[in-house]
Amino acid sequence: MTTPPQWVRDLKPSGPQGSELLAHERSKSSVNVDQLSTFLFTSEGLARKRRVLKVLENEKVFDKSQNYFAGRVDRFETALARAKRLRQLAVRNGWSNDDRLIANELISEPGPYGLHESMFLITLRDQGNAEQHEKFLKPAEQYKYIGCYAQTELGHGSNVRGLETTATWNKEDQTFTIHSPYLTASKWWIGSLGRTANHAVVMAQLIIGGKSYGPHPFVVQIRDLNTHETLENIHVGDIGPKFGYNTMDNGYLLFNQVKVPHISMLARFSRVDPKTNQYVRPASASLIYGTLTWVRSTIVMQAGGVLARGVTIATRYCAVRRQFQDRDAQEGQKSENQVINYTTVQIRLLPLLATTFALHFTGKAMMEMYGANQKKMSQDVGKVGGPERGAGPEETHSGSDLLADLHATSCGLKSLASYTAVEGLEMCRRACGGHGYSSFSGIGPWYADYLPTATWEGDNYMLTQQVARYLLKSARSVLKGNEPTNDTTFILTNFLSRQDTGAAFDVLGNDADIVAAFAWRSAFLTFEALKHRDEQKRPWNSLLVDFYRLSRAHSQYMVVKNFYETLQASPSATGLDAETLAIMHKLFRLYSLHTLESEASEFYTSSAVTVRQIQLCRTNAVMRLLEEIRPHAVRLVDAWSFPDWQLDSSLGRYDGKVYEDMFYRASELNPLNKVVVDPYPDSKVLFKKNEAAALKSKL
Amino acid sequence: MMPDFTDNLKPASPTGPDILNKERSQSDVPVDQLAQHLFRDGFMERQKRILRVLEKDVLFVKVKQLNLSRPERYQLGLARAKKLRRYADQYNWNNDERSMSQYLCDDVSPFMVHDSMFITTVREQGDEQQRKYWLPKIEASEAIGCYAQTELGHGSNVRGIECQARFDPKTKQFVLHSPTLTSSKWWNGSMGRTANHAIVVAQLLVPKARDTTEYNSLGPHAFIVQIRDLKTHKELPGIAVGDINVKYGYAPMDNGYMLFDNYRIPHSAMLSNYSRVDPNTCTYSKPANPAVVYGSLTAVRAAIIMHARLIMARAVTIAVRYTCVRRQFQDRDSNDPRAPELSVLDYPTVQIRILPLLATAFALHYTGAAMQALYQTTRAQIDKGDFGKLAVLHAQSSGLKSLCTELAANSIETCRRAMGGHGFGGGSGFIQLNHDYLSKPTVEGDNWMITQQTASYLIKRMAAAVANKGKPQDEIEQACRHWLQHEQKTAPLPVFEDDMMIVKAFHKRSRYLTYQAYVEREVNKRSWNSLLIQLRKVSHAESQSILVTNFHNALHDNNSGISENLKAHLQTLFQLFAMYTMDSDARDFHKAGAVSDADLDELPARIQELMAQIRPHAVLLVDSWKIPDFLLDSALGRYDGKVYEDLFNRAHRLNPLNELTFNPYYKSDEIVMGRGDDELKKIMAKL
Repeated sequence: MTTPPQWVRDLKPSGPQGSELLAHERSKSSVNVDQLSTFLFTSEGLARKRRVLKVLENEKVFDKSQNYFAGRVDRFETALARAKRLRQLAVRNGWSNDDRLIANELISEPGPYGLHESMFLITLRDQGNAEQHEKFLKPAEQYKYIGCYAQTELGHGSNVRGLETTATWNKEDQTFTIHSPYLTASKWWIGSLGRTANHAVVMAQLIIGGKSYGPHPFVVQIRDLNTHETLENIHVGDIGPKFGYNTMDNGYLLFNQVKVPHISMLARFSRVDPKTNQYVRPASASLIYGTLTWVRSTIVMQAGGVLARGVTIATRYCAVRRQFQDRDAQEGQKSENQVINYTTVQIRLLPLLATTFALHFTGKAMMEMYGANQKKMSQDVGKVGGPERGAGPEETHSGSDLLADLHATSCGLKSLASYTAVEGLEMCRRACGGHGYSSFSGIGPWYADYLPTATWEGDNYMLTQQVARYLLKSARSVLKGNEPTNDTTFILTNFLSRQDTGAAFDVLGNDADIVAAFAWRSAFLTFEALKHRDEQKRPWNSLLVDFYRLSRAHSQYMVVKNFYETLQASPSATGLDAETLAIMHKLFRLYSLHTLESEASEFYTSSAVTVRQIQLCRTNAVMRLLEEIRPHAVRLVDAWSFPDWQLDSSLGRYDGKVYEDMFYRASELNPLNKVVVDPYPDSKVLFKKNEAAALKSKL
Repeated sequence: MMPDFTDNLKPASPTGPDILNKERSQSDVPVDQLAQHLFRDGFMERQKRILRVLEKDVLFVKVKQLNLSRPERYQLGLARAKKLRRYADQYNWNNDERSMSQYLCDDVSPFMVHDSMFITTVREQGDEQQRKYWLPKIEASEAIGCYAQTELGHGSNVRGIECQARFDPKTKQFVLHSPTLTSSKWWNGSMGRTANHAIVVAQLLVPKARDTTEYNSLGPHAFIVQIRDLKTHKELPGIAVGDINVKYGYAPMDNGYMLFDNYRIPHSAMLSNYSRVDPNTCTYSKPANPAVVYGSLTAVRAAIIMHARLIMARAVTIAVRYTCVRRQFQDRDSNDPRAPELSVLDYPTVQIRILPLLATAFALHYTGAAMQALYQTTRAQIDKGDFGKLAVLHAQSSGLKSLCTELAANSIETCRRAMGGHGFGGGSGFIQLNHDYLSKPTVEGDNWMITQQTASYLIKRMAAAVANKGKPQDEIEQACRHWLQHEQKTAPLPVFEDDMMIVKAFHKRSRYLTYQAYVEREVNKRSWNSLLIQLRKVSHAESQSILVTNFHNALHDNNSGISENLKAHLQTLFQLFAMYTMDSDARDFHKAGAVSDADLDELPARIQELMAQIRPHAVLLVDSWKIPDFLLDSALGRYDGKVYEDLFNRAHRLNPLNELTFNPYYKSDEIVMGRGDDELKKIMAKL
């Protein structure tokens, strides 16, 4: 590209160089980066990342330097080329599923095979029977069938029961007719559907003999396997540019009375008996939502890492960036202060740093719960469930404690974790000041791609109702005098037995008391909500804001609890030396006390802590923790071990060469600098060179 | 586009138009009267007239622009900027009319800095001769300019900029030089590709005497410099200049970088209205008040605040209309299984996100109007050589800029998310809005940084009030004295009895926080850095107090000419804004002895009641902001409620990606069906 003149190439940044500043940061902290990375990811995980990275770095098609310039169509074409290449590499190198996931993380761009490789395959596997595995799953695993998961519609998202697409059973020829009766019935937002998929799992209202049985999954071919043209009476396309995710072809889909055979309905849990034309119920009505629960669990798991990326970039940059001399500095100490030394920057970044670990550990625990639940569910298959189901979204069946617990936990934590990551990323971007607004901060585009997580797989606000409903039910059971059967009923029982003797938790002196204080506040809010609903008979709708707060409180309790328990594991289990472990304890306290302080009024109202404790927490404890953690910030983010190739950020480079990289990208990689413009209003010429005449035709 | 079966499909009922008609018929808000009240000086007539011009011109069709690449987006931006300028000549538009055309076009114009900072700086900081020479060239767009202050290494700390302007007494020239990479000018709008001139802010170095090589460093000063050839538009020798690349938003703007290699400019390049270097003696004469250089920055801040209210109104307009049309779930307590689904705006969890923002848009409006009035009066005083008021204005403008842009930027995201999944789509009308507006919290003074200016000023005035000598210097010091002597000892205010009590509670809490910060800094001698978080609170509390006061004053202005009915609606909005704000920082009001614990406990219930009162009027209240569909560019926020039809039309008929059929099979390197591996080759060539 354009090469700048020699006198420009000779210039260096002024003052201490970024690389020196970061080297100094690393030298003054004793945090053991390798131990901590291994604790987070295991040594196999780290080795896997290095191995896959080596392969990707050598493939030109994955070069990221031009990503942000291209228009939508070009971006999608490149993404498709990448997806294909990645699949070719996976086959050639015999990559496992974990290898593939790591590769996607490193590339960090949603790809056209995204939904095929996740929801489509999982749904076929989990909800198909043996015959359907043979017919659909096999070709799907070979990428002959490329699929997507079509649930959300133009008119309905959160309210799955409100879906309008119908699948009507025809007993005459034993087929289903898939139909879209309204414009609002159009499938919408469906990833990989717009241009890529030739099959779709379609969620449609099952109708037998005029009676509706609720949404069920159907496998439907939508495009020709040779020409890739749309099949007759099907209408499908991409929904257009979005806030982010523009490398993905989110699509729409409409059916005009399309007939599909009996085998199309995924029948592992519920089915239509072709002989009797009767509907056979699933063991539990909520089983069909198992896939969503899985997706939510992974969202929680990923949120820590998603946020860590922003925190890594902002922490390194704020250690390199210097602005203003310290107002209280002695005369003669002329050099400017690192931005990370300002407490207004610390109060934004360091609690987020603590949060990355808190979410990661919580996610790990969630995934373990999911595994346990899967085992239990597969034992339950075939049992016939009860007929009663309450109103509202994705009502859980009251049968299994574990399922109810997992579902409620996944909803509340998905909401809290993704919200925290989204807010945190934008906070990191703004903490980088003006340069954070550049695409080369690496935060903005990453944020834009992550954003939909806050509204998809259950809108964050809607989901909190599930948690509240579960907590209310648990509280009613405790009030009836039932013995506690799990952690939730245990903390509720504990609260009831002590509510007249008081709490008096030593949150500033004792870590276990911090956890207890969070449990107390959650239990208090649960019984308050129960009072509003059961005694005062307040309408459900008027309590939604209370429920949101309750869900948030309970989820924060679980995060604090999981963080605490992770650090209580034996030293051999964590593999951390004493100094590193001590810093982790400080991060635990920072996360907990900063949260406590931000939600002060609820802690105070519940009598979990006193006003004096809150005040001390704010003015002393949190400020002291910021000061103690500050010297270790750079090493702590290093432990997340993001390769520069993945971060793709001038500001967050490991070596601190922030300004050199910014300048290089601007002056040498920027296609706009290849054109010379004609800026004068009276001239219709725009670009003196490189005149693109077809501009208007694109509008 | 071929006709197909989708042409006959309708959305399920009730339809958007039916829903919005019903919403509009159930409310008695006098839309036109309220619009008249919000927009004076012919704003609406201007909007209508200029809208008619732009709507007819295909160049200003927005719906597909999100698909364009960055170079295309800049090109489009430049084409639009030129066209608007030609329209301005053709229709003889004045400044207000030109701003209106920018506002409706909604693109950041590559001429934006030329039209604002560039010409303003020359006007304010140039001496008479310089104005006479430059202003006609600027107005004729012969000199197209930008404003080069921020550098790669320094933004907030203007005194720390590294670019130098050394005076050479032999040739009577200044030598502009960039000694380091970090001294590169950076982020400067219009500079990358468009401008042929720049205002360059550089450290002024003047020889201690005519023939020494020792220099006095006199701080940042402004110079007007030609940077590109007027014919070829190539950069001049000794200058390296270009576009800095892709940003979060601002795609049509060529934010630039620029470096100088001992580049000589004449003595007349230094803008000398306030300070100058005598070319013969090398003596430097100082401005009467050093703060004066920041005058135009303060003006920009006032405009930013006025702009923030319209941004908020726009976000809320879309969110309110869409969440009325959007229905999801039946009411859980309803016994009727056939009952229609609830409008999403009927959920308190949605109301609590959107309705306080609706109220905030009004709060910003009244303070924006008051700020502008204050700027005008201060401006007049500066012209008379009286800089006394500038300190108050500068301090207030910093805090208000920080709070108001923060509120507006966050409101965009809050509204976008309150709309669920469709908020993420291109049809939401929130994408470019979000991308472009999110520069505001860090531009023209980082929001966290500049709260120090407000807090620092307040602490100084509090210190003077404690000293209690002579007459108070300004109204803030007077208020501090009043608090020290009377107010701080008074009982909590009965905020639910009288709106005036709310205003007083905000005052009391602000004074209290100022006093606390004063004690920490001046009595306990805490370090400045350890107080920064507290100082931000002080600044925000003062700004919120200003917002509440101005809102309240406007409702009690007997000359406003608004009907009692409208006043009642505005009063509900006032209360919602004030109580929502109060609830967010309840503990501060408690500690300050401004509001009792019992009253604070009651706030959430009061807020929910107020929202229930506003809910039926929400659609007409946003209608009153009169934001045209052309500007909203949103399927979700359309005036007529045809949300789903428009979303489908944009996806189906206006989407270039759907014109291609792709080959999705990984074993083939073909990307587009029928094109072999040509596309892949093209892609690889660009990487």
